[in-house]
Parts: sequence; C-alpha cells; structure tokens
Amino acid sequence: MGTTASQLGKADLSEYQELTFLTKQEILLAHKRFTELLPKEEKNSTNARVPMTKILTLPELKSNPFKERICLVFSTTNPNDGSFSFDDFLDFLSAFSDSATLEIKSHYAFRIFDFDNDGTLSCGDLEKLVDCLTYESEDSRLTTEEMRQLITNILEESDIDKDGTVNLSEFQHVISRSPDFVSSFKIVL
Amino acid sequence: MTSSSSGGVFNPAYHDSETLEVDRRDKRSWTHHTNPYAGEDPAWWAERDDAEPGASSGGWRGGESFSMGLFSTSSGTNSWQHDANPHTPDSSSHYRSAAGLPSLMTGGMTMRWRGMAMRGMSMFPNADPTHAALAEDAIRSEVENEEQNLIKELIALSAGEQTRKIQELPQSFGEKKNIRRQVMAFKSSTNSHHFLCCTDCCRNMSLSFRRCGNGIKSARQTLKLWRGIMKEIGGRFGSSVLTYFLFLKWLLMFNIFSFLVNFGFITIPLLVHDLSANIPSNVSFRGLELLTGAGYFNYTVMYYGGYSNETLHGLVDYNMQLAYFFTIAVYMVLCGIVLIFSMASSFKKNYVLSDPASSRAWQLLCSWDFSLTNERAVRQRKNNLRVQLKESLSERAEKESITLSKELKQVGIHVGSWFLSTCLAVGCGASIFYLCQYGEEQAMDTAPWSLLQEAETLLVPFVVSLMNIVIPLFFSLFNKFERYSTHRRQIYALLIRTSSLTVFPSQCWEPMVGQALYRLVIIDFLFLMLGSFFGEFLSNVIGTKLQPRLGVPEFDVARNVLELVYAQTLAWIGIYFSPLLPAIQMLKFFILFYIKKVSLTRNCQPPRRSGRAAQMQTIFIFLLFFPFFVGALSIVAYTAWSLTPSEQCGPFQGLNNTFSVVSIWIHDLEAIPTSDWVVWIYQNVIRSELFYFLLTLIIIAIIYIFWQLTQGRKELINLLRQRIINEGKDKSFLLEKLQNLQKSQPAVAPSQKKIKVHSGRRSADRSSGSQSNSNAVVQVLLARQQLEEEDRRSASGVSVPSDISTSGALMQAMVARHRAERQTPEEHSSSPSPLEQAMAARQKAQDEYWTVTDADDINSPNRPPVTHARLREEEGQDGSSNPSSPASSVVIQVMQARQRAEEEERIQWAPAPVQNSASPSSSALIQAMLARQQAQNEYDDGY
Repeated sequence: MGTTASQLGKADLSEYQELTFLTKQEILLAHKRFTELLPKEEKNSTNARVPMTKILTLPELKSNPFKERICLVFSTTNPNDGSFSFDDFLDFLSAFSDSATLEIKSHYAFRIFDFDNDGTLSCGDLEKLVDCLTYESEDSRLTTEEMRQLITNILEESDIDKDGTVNLSEFQHVISRSPDFVSSFKIVL
Repeated sequence: MTSSSSGGVFNPAYHDSETLEVDRRDKRSWTHHTNPYAGEDPAWWAERDDAEPGASSGGWRGGESFSMGLFSTSSGTNSWQHDANPHTPDSSSHYRSAAGLPSLMTGGMTMRWRGMAMRGMSMFPNADPTHAALAEDAIRSEVENEEQNLIKELIALSAGEQTRKIQELPQSFGEKKNIRRQVMAFKSSTNSHHFLCCTDCCRNMSLSFRRCGNGIKSARQTLKLWRGIMKEIGGRFGSSVLTYFLFLKWLLMFNIFSFLVNFGFITIPLLVHDLSANIPSNVSFRGLELLTGAGYFNYTVMYYGGYSNETLHGLVDYNMQLAYFFTIAVYMVLCGIVLIFSMASSFKKNYVLSDPASSRAWQLLCSWDFSLTNERAVRQRKNNLRVQLKESLSERAEKESITLSKELKQVGIHVGSWFLSTCLAVGCGASIFYLCQYGEEQAMDTAPWSLLQEAETLLVPFVVSLMNIVIPLFFSLFNKFERYSTHRRQIYALLIRTSSLTVFPSQCWEPMVGQALYRLVIIDFLFLMLGSFFGEFLSNVIGTKLQPRLGVPEFDVARNVLELVYAQTLAWIGIYFSPLLPAIQMLKFFILFYIKKVSLTRNCQPPRRSGRAAQMQTIFIFLLFFPFFVGALSIVAYTAWSLTPSEQCGPFQGLNNTFSVVSIWIHDLEAIPTSDWVVWIYQNVIRSELFYFLLTLIIIAIIYIFWQLTQGRKELINLLRQRIINEGKDKSFLLEKLQNLQKSQPAVAPSQKKIKVHSGRRSADRSSGSQSNSNAVVQVLLARQQLEEEDRRSASGVSVPSDISTSGALMQAMVARHRAERQTPEEHSSSPSPLEQAMAARQKAQDEYWTVTDADDINSPNRPPVTHARLREEEGQDGSSNPSSPASSVVIQVMQARQRAEEEERIQWAPAPVQNSASPSSSALIQAMLARQQAQNEYDDGY
C-alpha cells in the first residue's frame, strides 16, 4: 500500500477524491489493482491504458453478463476499444460505488443497456438485454413468441409516451420506483 | 446539446428564425436539470401552469428537436435495420410500424436528455463522418457555450456544493477535471482581486472541514466490520440475502451502543464505588448459571437486584436511583427515535416510491445484481430469471381466464389458513400461560435451589423456543396453499412474549423476571444455532442425498429476520430488569453472524425468487419492528409506572412506583433556590394535563395538515399521470393519422435529391438518406414557419396579445386535429395539399433510404420492382414523367415538382390568411404534431 500511495501524488489523490464518490482507501486500492493489470514496463507511466481483455479478467467483472458493455461505456478512447485508463477505471468504480447517487447510477445503467448507442432503449436493445440476462445455451433460450410478448409487456409498462422505445427519462422513472436498484447496481473491489 | 445545435445547422430556417434568441435562452434553463426529480424549479412550474405546454416560449424547440430526431434515426434505425432480430419476421414488421416512425419523433427528445452528458464520448459511433464534419463547428461552439454556463453556475455555489455538483455530473473523469480546473481558476483569479482575510479564512475553514469529513469517511471505511465477508456473501447469494446480514450487523451495533450506555452510566459508578460483590458464602458458581441465569448471577450487577438505592459519595454525589431511571428512560426514547427515523426513511424509499404497476419492466431493467461475482451464482441467477419470466408470462395468460369458482376457492383457502394460524397462535399463548403458572408455584419456595430445581426453570424458555422453531414450520406449510400468511407469525410471537411475563409475587421479583428473560435469550440462542445446523444442514443432506427432488434449501430471509426481531425484543424488555442483558445479546449476535455465514455458504443455494424480496423485507422488518418495540416499551413503562418495586432489593426499594423517584428528586430540588426552573417545569409541564392536551391538539393539527398535503399530492400525481397518458394518446393518434395520410397518397411528391446530386456518392447511403430526411424536415419546418407567420398576422389583425396568439396556435392545432378526423373518410377524394406532399416526400425519402440499404443487402432481383414501383408512382403524379429516365432526371423532376408544390402552397396561403387553417388540414396536422412534440419536450424538461 505504501508504495502505491507514494506513486499517487497527494494532489492527485485529493483531486480524485473530489471528483469521484470514492474514499481515499478505495482510490488507493483501485490504484493497486489497476497497476497489477499493467505490464511491467508500463507500471510507472501515468497515462497507461489497460486493454479490454485484461479488464475483463478482473474477478469482479469476469462473470458479469454486461462486462463488455461496461468497458465500452466507461472507456474514453476514440475510436472506442474498451480500454481503461486509470481515470476511466475510477469513473467506473465511482459509478458503481456505494455512495453514488441514483441519478448517476441510472444514467450509466441506461448507457450500458443501450447497446446500439442511439440514446433510447429500442426493441433491439431490449432483446439483447433479455438475452444477456437469461441466455445460457441455445436450448434454454426464450422462444420468439415469449420474447415478443415480454418486450411488449416492458414497453407497455415503461414506455409512457408510447413511442415504442424507452428513453432515459422513462428509464429513470422505472428505476426510481425500484429501491433495490441502488443496492444491486454496485461493484466493489 | 450537441445534437440540438446540429439540428439547427441543417435547418436554414433555424438561423433565419426570430425565435433563435428565445431558443438559446431556453436552452440555458434546461441544460442543467441533471436531476429530473429534484427539478422543482419554480420557473418550470410557472411555465407549466400559465398555459398549455407548447406555448410561445418553446417557439422553435419543437421543430428543433424534430430535426434532431434525424440523428437518432440515422444511427438508430440503421443499426436496427442491420442487426435486428432475424428470428422474428412478423415482429420486425411490427417494430417497423411501431418504432420506425415514432423513434424519429422522440429521438430528439431523448437526445436532448443525453445532451451534454454524451458530448465528446463518441456519441454517434454509427453516424457517418460527413454528418459529423458538418456539425462539428456548431457542436463545438455550443459545447463551449454550455460549458461556460455550467461553470458560471458552479462558481456561484459554495465550495461544498460545488464539489458535490461536480461529482454528480454524469461525465467522464477528464471532463469533470477540466470543469473543476476552470472553476478553480476563476475562483483564484477573482480572489486575487480582493485580499479579504475573512473570506480566505472561511475558505480554509471549509476546506479543512471537508478534509476532516473525508477523513472520517475513510476511517469508517476501514472500521467497517466484516467487509470482506459481506462482499463474499453478496457476490454469491445476491443482495437479498445480504440484507439479512446487514440487518444483523445493524442490530449488533445497536446492542453495542446500549451496552455502552448501560454499562457506563449504571454499572461503572457502582463498581467504582464498591468493587466487592456481596455474594453470600453459600452460593458458588456451578456452571449451570450460564444457562439459567439464576443462583450466582442473582447477586451480581447482572440484574436489577444487584444495584443499590444509595447515593454514591465519591468526587460528586451520584444518585443511583435517578441514574438508573434516567438511563433506561433515555435509552428507550433514543431507541424509539432511531427506529422511527430509520423506519420512516426506509418506508419512504421502499414503499411509497415503489409502484406495483411496473413490476415486469423492473424485473428486466433493474433487477440484475451487479455485485454478483460468482460464476455459478450468475448462471443460476440467469436460469432463475428465465424461469421467472416464463412463469410471469404464463401467469398473465392464466389470469385472464380466472373463473368465479376458482376465486371462491382461493378465498376459502385464505380464510381457512388464517383461522388455523390464529388458533395455533392462541393455543401457544394459552399453553405458555399455564406453564408459567406452574413454574411460579415451583418457584414460590425461597430456599436456595437444588440443581434439579434450577434446571426446571429452563422448562418454560425451552418450550417457548421449541414453539418458535416448530410453529414457523406450520406456517410455511400454510404458505404452500396460500401466499400471504407470513405476517401472521407476528401474532403468536407477541402472545408468547407477553404471556411469558406473568408477574411473580415474590419479595424480590424484578431479578426473577430478569432471570426469565435471560433464560429466554440464552435458549433462543441455542435454538437459533440448532435451527441453522439442523434445519439447514439436515435439509441440505436430505436434499442432496436422500430426496434429490427437494433440492438444496434456500436461505429463508423472512424467517431468519423474524428470529432476530424476536431476540431483540427480548433484550428490550429485559433492559429494565437486567441492565447488562445487551452484553449477552452482543455476544449472541456476534457468534450468530459467523454461524449463519458458515451455514449459508455450506448448505444453501441462492434464492430462486430474486427480486423485490429485499425491498419487501425491509418493509416487513420495520412494520414488524415498530409494534414490537412499542410492545416492549409499553411493558417497561407499565412496570415503571404502576407496579410496586420489590421492597428488599434493587435501586427502587421502598417506593410506591419507580416514577416516584422523580417526584422525590424534585422535592429535594425545591430546597435549592437556583433550580427553581426545574421545579417549575416539572410542576407546569410534566405534571400538567393541559400541556399534554395542547400538545396533542397541535400534533393532531399538524398530522391533519400533512395528511391533506399528501392527498393533494396524490391528486396532482393522478392528474399528471392522466396528462402523460393523454399526451401519449394524442401523439399516437396523430401518428396514425399521418400514416393513414401517407398510405392514402399513392402519388408521391418529389423527394429531395438535391444533396445527393451534389455529393454524387453512392457510397454515402446513410448520409444521403438522413440528409434527404433532414431536407424533408426542413420543408416541414418551412411550412410551419409560414403557418406561424400567418398566425402572427391574424393575431395582429385582431390585436390580441402575443401569448394568446400562440396558445391560439395550439387551438388551431386542436381544430386541425378535429378536422383531420372528419376528413379521414374523404381523404381519398381530397386533393393532395402541398404539405401532404411534403410529408409524403419525407416518407418517400425514408423509404428510398431503406430500399437503398435493402438493395445493398439483398440481391439485385429485388431492386427493379422497387424502382419500378416508384417510377410508376411518380408517373401517377406527373403525367409527363418518363418511365425510363435515369435517376438524375428523376431528381430534376423531383425538384420541379417541389417548386410547384411550394408555389401552390404560397397561393393557398395568400388569399385567406385568417382562415388558412381551413384549407391545408394536413399542414395543421403537422403543426399539431409539432405542438404535441413540443409540449412533450417541455414536460420532459420539467420532469
């Protein structure tokens, strides 16, 4: 811990604290875990990025069905390759931390579920979402009819303006009604 | 608002419009509504209230977001077209009608939402480069503009607020950093102007305070008990099981607190004063005391009897009676306050806000537990969710076909199980009552007990605990038939508790009660351990080895929570009779945590029914907790107020009741002149009925006011909900009309291929598609502008204030809607008005774009019919068109036709400016649509 603390300057640390929902310990732990993912020669460089494949090996993400989406949403590369800089990594942890607000969490959840990045959850997105949540093997899949009905049900309940898609405000509306969300949208290192 | 600005760029009318300023101004006002629910912006309310939404202030916003929709469709529909479900041919057509066009409409709306949050984060990965290039400048300028606004807003806030606000921006780290730097820079630059020592000092103070707060937060983090274990449990069993452990931990903390209070204020003074315990010589520690709590313990500070009624003379006089009384009283009150507050907040969070209507959407949209890290658990979770979804689908189908006889049967089962469980509870209560009476007779002789006698005292708690274990089994049996009987356990638990407290008429009865409670606590603990070992372990063995059909047991959160509640209630009641009972409780919970953890990880599987369990549990706990605590409190209060304390032991010996301690104290105080006010308060407040009467009245009045408030809010919510639904209906109605209109127009007006001619690139399918789309929209917007001009003219003619004229526009839209309704039957006969053409053009552009993309994917044979059909359509409209003409000539034709359409339009507008709405009904229709859209946007903003 001591070495990482010295690597992470005091000014940086306080800035990280001010800009994220993380505490000092969490940031230090995150830094430790992050440098573990870096190859040896890059350990000391400040702008090193960890590729997506490495990020996905984290035990906290390994079995998450949305792991690729999470990487893509939080990565700030252009074009987006899902790799994480330390800032991105903190961003990710901050959004999934205990103290992040419902607003932040629902915002990122929406972006994670918005598979085609078009700003609304369309039928295609919902279908992918259902697949992510239930898909195990080919034979256990929901049938086409079930899928269709499921999506109609979802839209019936959450699509307030009846435009066939769920937009962010509608999504946040649904989420504000489900108090479990804040506790379940959580990843702690 | 990157997208909104780019919408403007494509739209020449946008720049020409006079409302541009208005638009800019507006944008500022809604940009930072990052939290839709906290957006109780008075300005917004005013806006909402003073007119129908869609009034003047929105001006061009409807149009603007309309054009913004292009973005979302250009990427959205596109990807939809390419990668959407191959397995549902029929549903895809369904999607197209349902989602294709509407998404065009609302795309804008949602984009507005994403707005600044998305900026710079590869917003349109699918969008083509030309688009981006065109929009880039405007986007940049708008982004900068907006950032400036944000920074200005932030600067105005205090430092703490600033940090919080920046934290809450849904942006990437780098951007937040940037914003913070700018704010800081601005601050320091202004600060250098005035060297005010005071502000500097304040700033430093607040900074150090914040540092301190952060430090405390970090310290708490490190002190967090069982963090690793909690994470492991959450990762394997999900958050609903985790709630049990969190609750257990919370109770443990609670007991540590009460132990510290009692030990600090009651026991320590006594021990400091007199260390030697006055234990009779013939009593020795035999070991069984640990279970029974009798004998040796009877003479220690464990029980009420161990305390004296003296005033301890040390450095200061310490009145033991008063200390005992006030410690217990304050502790009880504190418990009550803590419980009420945590219950209220949890109630608010979990019950008031939750909406049973959206249960299915919830299941999918926010049920996934991101904290799950175990591969097996994830797989199991997926399976469970799938089964649950399938069940709910079939349940839904079943629900529709429910018959009267079935319903009657269900009611019968409900009543029957209710009756049975009540009988069971009453029976338990009665049996315990008689058992207690028997125990009393045994305990009458006061001679020192033999070992056997002492062991006999364990009978009652043993039976009680046994019931506690057996009865829930019966109840869970009922649960198989009927769903909602779990909460009935509460009755029997209450009964057991109260009846186990029958008064002992002996000389020193308080310690006896204390002993009884001690025994209950200990035996309860043993049974909890046995329960988890035998209950979960045995059923695991049975489930895996003997009867695989039963399967591995699940962790029953409800039952376990109830056990905890029962245990805690015992401790509360016992606190008066045995002040150190929390210490026992503390140990009990500490050990229980590890036992439950081991039992859980060894024997149980994650709960099959994921979902709202956790939320229901919290409600359950607190609804239950409250009566339990109130029960315990009233028992203690009754003891203190009405029962005569025993005469030979304890701090209150020789008094009529415990409360008279206070009157004696006041009596003493009267002698001291400086404490008149205490006496006055006692006489005039504590002892006066009038005071309580007034207090009650005031509280009732406040409750009434709040109740009315909630009623009003409920009404408001209903109204708003109705409004949303109406908006939705209007919108779908208008869309339907629009589609009908398009269908009924076989002759399609020219589509705008100008841009395509300019670029001349076949490869840029998408861009051309969306650009021609945008052109169609431009046309629509032009038409709308015209209409608005008309509007203004007519308004000035009748000399009405401008805001009325705009609401008039809405009226017009409504009228147009009616007319459109009337016109539908005769649509076929009516001549194509220019705006219909425009609409059709748009549709056409879209169609064409689709056919082009289709043609790329599908083989060439498909293509000829399409083009042919199109050409034929054009032929229908333009008699002079040449069927064999190449695409470019089509474009020229198209342009000509468009010009003609516009001319026609102008002609139609010119003669009858005031009654204009009469002729082009469809243009009014579009206007109506835009107005709707606008209204919705506005609503969204506010929301």
